Amino acid sequence: MICRHFSLIVGILVLVLLIPTAVEACPSCKTIDDPIVQGFKWSILFLMAMPYIVAGLIGGGVFYAYYRTHRTDNRKPPSNVKGV
Amino acid sequence: MNELEHTSYERAEEGNRPISNARLAVLVLLGAEIMFFAGLIGTFLVFRFGSVTWPPPSQADVRLPIGVTGLNTIVLLLSGYTMFQGLRAIRQDRQKELRNWLFVTGLLGIIFLVVQGSEWVRLVHHGFTLSSGVYGSVFYVLIGCHALHVLVAVLWLLAVFARAIAGRFSVNHYVGVEVCAIYWAFVVVLWPLLYVLVYLI
Repeated sequence: MICRHFSLIVGILVLVLLIPTAVEACPSCKTIDDPIVQGFKWSILFLMAMPYIVAGLIGGGVFYAYYRTHRTDNRKPPSNVKGV
Repeated sequence: MNELEHTSYERAEEGNRPISNARLAVLVLLGAEIMFFAGLIGTFLVFRFGSVTWPPPSQADVRLPIGVTGLNTIVLLLSGYTMFQGLRAIRQDRQKELRNWLFVTGLLGIIFLVVQGSEWVRLVHHGFTLSSGVYGSVFYVLIGCHALHVLVAVLWLLAVFARAIAGRFSVNHYVGVEVCAIYWAFVVVLWPLLYVLVYLI
């Protein structure tokens, strides 16, 4: 079955390879002087950094809560000491 | 379970855990909110740096109220300070001061919203609307989303204020005030960034 249609399949593949315009799907693939490239660049850099900032903030908040709890626990006097 | 038992249970829960469920939930909520605003700011950056002139030539005659909004920024920053003072008051079990600070914070938040709303009405009367091209869309969506968050924060604060009047907070149980203060801090800290991006740059 495959052998019978081999030449047809190869012909289609060659035809596809000869049409390179179909691969231009990148929105940022403009000339470097285009201002929209600068817009995309700053936007991508900003959005790329945000997940790390968010994770850092939440992680920092949880870490600070643990730190504060342990600090408070260490300051508590032993339970068998009276009048402290 | 009556209220006294419930409060004791909450205290025990909070005492054993380094971070309560409510605080953790608000932190995660703020993470989602930050990503939401990051998406909007990312859109703004594409349009802002993607344009040779800003505002675009079709909206060159639009003048945003920089001075009034600058004063409004100070009002919102002041509300952040008063909220912090309220939180400090309940940590030292000063109930009356908590109520006073919460009242002032809510008042400042409402003043911020009223001034923002009046400026929007003025801009719309001048023909600058949501459909005024990219400039109008970006301005109203970005600033409008923040105003909506301030409105939610004010409503939340009013609920906390009502509970404070009813004497529901104490030095051992003030997580309701704290989570509201965290959210309030978010809307306060976000605003100067938006002001600089949208109004000044």
